[in-house]
Amino acid sequence: MAADLPLWLKLVLRVERAVGGPVESAVHSDAYFDAVAELNRAKRLLTDAVEGVSKRGLHLLNLPAGTDIRRVREQLARMDRRLVQISKELAELERAREG
Amino acid sequence: MALQLSPADIIARVDRDVERSYLRARNGVRYVRGSNRPKLGTSPKDIVWQRDKAQLWRYRGGPIRFRQPLLIITSLVSRSYILDLLPGSSAVGFLRDQGFDVFMLDWGIPDELDADNSLETYVDEYLPRAVAAVRRETGCDELTMAGYCLGGVLSILYANGHHDAPVRNLVLMATPVDFEQMGPMVAALREGRLDPEQLLDETGNVPADVLYSGFFMLAPTTVVAQKATLLENLWNDEFVRGFQAMAQWARDQVPFPGAAFREVVEELIRRNALMEGSLRVGDREIDFAKSGATVLNAMAEQDTVVPRAAAEPIGTLVGRPDRRQQLLLPGGHVTFGTGRSAFRHSLPSLAGWIAAHSDERGP
Repeated sequence: MAADLPLWLKLVLRVERAVGGPVESAVHSDAYFDAVAELNRAKRLLTDAVEGVSKRGLHLLNLPAGTDIRRVREQLARMDRRLVQISKELAELERAREG
Repeated sequence: MALQLSPADIIARVDRDVERSYLRARNGVRYVRGSNRPKLGTSPKDIVWQRDKAQLWRYRGGPIRFRQPLLIITSLVSRSYILDLLPGSSAVGFLRDQGFDVFMLDWGIPDELDADNSLETYVDEYLPRAVAAVRRETGCDELTMAGYCLGGVLSILYANGHHDAPVRNLVLMATPVDFEQMGPMVAALREGRLDPEQLLDETGNVPADVLYSGFFMLAPTTVVAQKATLLENLWNDEFVRGFQAMAQWARDQVPFPGAAFREVVEELIRRNALMEGSLRVGDREIDFAKSGATVLNAMAEQDTVVPRAAAEPIGTLVGRPDRRQQLLLPGGHVTFGTGRSAFRHSLPSLAGWIAAHSDERGP
């Protein structure tokens, strides 16, 4: 099967493995995940700082900021989930009562 | 040694290369434009039950040879159509053609309404109702339950956690139990390098992108080899179709419900609790050796998502000791759904095992 492959493809596959092996070792290493965690932390700090500034600006104009919308969406989702749960419990109760 | 070619051979080769060049150009334009994408998961089926986003599908087809229906439980983190990828390359189509009455439980695409879904939700709320629907549809007392990947974990919990579970055969395909043997992302979660709370978005779920990145980072450079192989085979319509289908499925991950994700991290990953042979779900401890079902642990030799070492302990943990069997299949994680080895080896072996453990219908 591999013998049927054209030379250029064999070369690409060989290079990919030669490069891929070390790349995989690197991205599977502890150092990589530490770096990802640090990057995420830094990204969050930066986002929080930018959001804080824009939020104050928008609130000055009595406008909702993205974080406000997110909070309202989270509250709505919690309420939706509670409603779904109550509907299911009610349906179960009705089914039990009907025997 | 020099190769002797007759003029007729040379003309035939030139002819073939010209034709392939034309087909490469045509398929290349289509591929880049994104047109001509194959439709996936198109086997004819009926929705026979649904609750919230979960749907139970029953596949239509020819005559049914076996009395016990086959219920497939898919994973929570990927789309179920991997088992029904393309016409002629569909695992459920294959099983249907073998005479099984095939049902598949699809979890849908979770959103903020599903963020509180825990393992208990799946094991005690959805699965018993789906199984009841299969029994209602078929009038059958027992069934074969086949869980794929995390769907296998749910199947273990359901079959052992419900004393009345009508599971005659429990087929576990690429099902992880030893999470210490799983990939680097799982290790990072176990060691606390990744905080599960930081992976959740505002919907309360783990976004699909995070899961895609996790799978992509298992082998980030293979995409180059895949694209080069595609270029070489671009003249071949069948190859391009299969490539597009797989690429689409690989990119098409679904969000992981937050509550279930937290449980998976705390219990399955950090405590490696499945290796204890039991797990607390809801208000009870589920003992994995309780079910009377015959258990088949089907593993793929080259699985990099659920390595063989992560699935192997099923053979000593799940089901009664005299009812545990094992099947080692060629191929990788998707060998249960697609690829050449799936239809040559994996699916015929699985179908053969299930047939041998099912009753034939009378005339």
